[in-house]
Amino acid sequence: MTAYTVYLEQLHAMLAAWSKEHQVYVPTAVEGGYFDFKPWREGVEIAFDYDLAYNTLKRYFLPPKEDLVVFDLAAKTAEMVFDAPKQLLFGVHPYDIRGINQLDQIMETGAPDQYYLHRRDATVVFGLTPMRVAETAFWSSMGAGEVDRGFDLFWTKTGPSTFLVEVGSMRGEKMLLAAGELTPASAGAREAARKAHLKIMEMGRSNALNFDWKQVPRLLDKCWNSPLWQKKAELCLACGSCNLVCPTCYCFDIREEADELLQKGVRFREWDGCMLTSFALVAGEHNFRAKALERYRHRYMRKGKYIYDRYGELGCIGCGRCVRACTTNIANPREVFNTLWEASQHED
Amino acid sequence: MKIKEFSAYLPRPATLKVKKELSELVTLFEFENDSGRPLMHKPGQFIMLSVYGVGEAPFSVSSAPIRESNNFELAVRKIGAVTGIMHDLKVGDKVGIRGPYGSFFPIQKFVGQDTLFIAGGLGYIPLRSLLHYQLKHRDEFGRIILLVGTRNPKERIFIDQLAELASGKDVEVLETVDVPDETWKGHCGVITTLIPKVRIDPDKTNVAMVGPPIMYKFCLGECLKIGIPSNRIYVSLERKMKCGLGKCGHCQINHLNACIEGPVFQYNQIESVEEAI
Amino acid sequence: MKPKIAFFDFAGCEGDQLQVANLEEKLLDILSHVEVVSFREVMTGHSDDYDIAFVEGSITRPEDEARIKDIRSKAKYLVALGACATIGGVNCIKNFMSPDVYKERVYGTSGRWYSTYAARPLKKVVKVDAELHGCPIDRSEFARVVKELLLGRQPWIPDYPVCVECKKAGNICRYDLGRICLGTITRAGCGACCVTEGAHCWGCRGVAPKANLDAAREAMNKNGFDHKTVRDLLRFFLGDTYAPL
Repeated sequence: MTAYTVYLEQLHAMLAAWSKEHQVYVPTAVEGGYFDFKPWREGVEIAFDYDLAYNTLKRYFLPPKEDLVVFDLAAKTAEMVFDAPKQLLFGVHPYDIRGINQLDQIMETGAPDQYYLHRRDATVVFGLTPMRVAETAFWSSMGAGEVDRGFDLFWTKTGPSTFLVEVGSMRGEKMLLAAGELTPASAGAREAARKAHLKIMEMGRSNALNFDWKQVPRLLDKCWNSPLWQKKAELCLACGSCNLVCPTCYCFDIREEADELLQKGVRFREWDGCMLTSFALVAGEHNFRAKALERYRHRYMRKGKYIYDRYGELGCIGCGRCVRACTTNIANPREVFNTLWEASQHED
Repeated sequence: MKIKEFSAYLPRPATLKVKKELSELVTLFEFENDSGRPLMHKPGQFIMLSVYGVGEAPFSVSSAPIRESNNFELAVRKIGAVTGIMHDLKVGDKVGIRGPYGSFFPIQKFVGQDTLFIAGGLGYIPLRSLLHYQLKHRDEFGRIILLVGTRNPKERIFIDQLAELASGKDVEVLETVDVPDETWKGHCGVITTLIPKVRIDPDKTNVAMVGPPIMYKFCLGECLKIGIPSNRIYVSLERKMKCGLGKCGHCQINHLNACIEGPVFQYNQIESVEEAI
Repeated sequence: MKPKIAFFDFAGCEGDQLQVANLEEKLLDILSHVEVVSFREVMTGHSDDYDIAFVEGSITRPEDEARIKDIRSKAKYLVALGACATIGGVNCIKNFMSPDVYKERVYGTSGRWYSTYAARPLKKVVKVDAELHGCPIDRSEFARVVKELLLGRQPWIPDYPVCVECKKAGNICRYDLGRICLGTITRAGCGACCVTEGAHCWGCRGVAPKANLDAAREAMNKNGFDHKTVRDLLRFFLGDTYAPL
């Protein structure tokens, strides 16, 4: 992979240049000691050592609410609407890129989701090697600490004011070199980046799955009747927070609204979640997952098994956002999988 | 960036041609595609129908698949927002449609064989598509046995057509209602009780079964009991559907999407799938 | 023919009708499809001939019952407007006291001259066809519901908790900031406006239909909020529901 050395003092000019064509988003400190992606402008301090973006980055590709079709109520005609702003996400951690890559797969399968794919194409992703691990995160043991695609550039902070920047796409390289030539990375700089990566992977292991993540689907296969589901589900608020903060949850509802003159209307989609009570409710009041237990189990089965069966990777990347988002502390995939694993060890 | 002008969510126009009340709550709608092309659906598939300003909902196509006509039929029960408004539509009104979507009854596998139709309540609506196809090509198929069950006589649909079928030679019709009233002279009891009454050859009979969730729980067992293997039983499973494209997630049955792998399933495909039946 | 609509109020602050009036241009567009026959907030005059009645406020006196029943008998469709009408709202705080106590507190020594009883939402007295929740109501939700009624469909009102809208808005969870919040059990539809503005959810849209109150109370306690804090917050808007302890 082509790589360059970039110095901190060069970055500002780059951000200013990228901002001309893209809305640039960067990780920055927010209320309560948390971090989140916010629009970059002069004066916004980039938190290179952020541990976790509070909100999932899927909102840049799959917005909470997105128009699909506009229609004319009198003429009964409909037209498509696409909105794909040019944007740049600077400083995305590998596990979040894994999440985006999984959404790419899901949205490309079958009838390609043009809305998502347009936004994805219009979004430049610059990865960043994490320097800290969130308390709730366990990505290093979920095989999500590394990523080899899905980014245009990948940045690693190798010194107080030095970055190693690996090239992931021609678009990325062009943007990196737009302001002028850069020094190709030396072997020493590459070694420093490798060490930074190893270091963070090691740090991540303090909060880990107790077994190989590849065993999760097989484990869940045996756990349909585990008492754990009911025990956890009793505390479920059915608030959907775990779904909505999850970088790989993509379910949506479709609704529509007319304008005040009842002449035009818009059909849009909005985030939805399988933990919400009416998610599987059909007209006529039959609910196919009426019980909290069924909804709770379905979510873990999707994260640990169904997604794997279809796409060959887990639906959980170990970012730990759901762990933080759950007010009653029942959404913790690491704990759920570890508990099931331990129980299964005693069974055999 | 150039944006391709394509959306799987864009409905295309269709015009209401005929509207006929089937029962107090169920109405038959015949639509014509404005495109001038046939729907090209297969029996058991569904479409997404839009009433602009109100919403979109999935409906099984009830008419036989025919290439000679641009028209197709839906039978709709007044139950939600979209279906409520549909009953106010007038002939000539326009709606939007997407699809057809989903899996279907594999007609070729039914050729030269006997078919046992088991229709519970509104389940007759999608089955009618397959039934009408078979009647149109009557020589290609063996016996056609039709079991119809309804909650009460008032909710019976396609009454005239069923009477016509019952008086003809093409179809053996057995009908029941769960709860009779003074007008009802026929069989009483749930549809499950009809299954042991039919003599079939399990080795050359396929079952096409559609009905409410509770019906499957009992009828599938009855079918297996009379010797029909699960790979000869086809069911159509209803789920909430918003996109019809396998994306929105509402119709998931474990790892399956009812809108892509379903709604029609060969029973052996889902026998071991929890929450399917 | 344009449907005729009328606004009525019982015990409440008329803040919901004010929200409607504040729709301004949007309101004018909507009004082109309807005929308003009674709306004290913006017009004089009144007619008893109406199709849709929007009723604000809660029932707090025995004699209110006859009036709301009369409105019900004249309206084809009755919409409860705002927390007082849908869930009883803040008026129900008094329901936790004996009538003697609250009469004296409000009216002093002349309390016995006032007829007042436990406050209750409209649905405790008459059939309500649709409920527009909130204190105050959400203007855009009002506009949407009216449009849905005009198009002939039953209005869509969310049945999930405020957390959903908070996550969509990208807010930092109040509990992550060591604060209390009722978003976990409260029906959404407000767009999580209070949290977005830096406050917490007070529960003004009522308890979400399948809310897990036991779990929510336990979580509040575990996060360090004592029995009294939780109780008082639950009584603030939710006095007529099964939420308060």
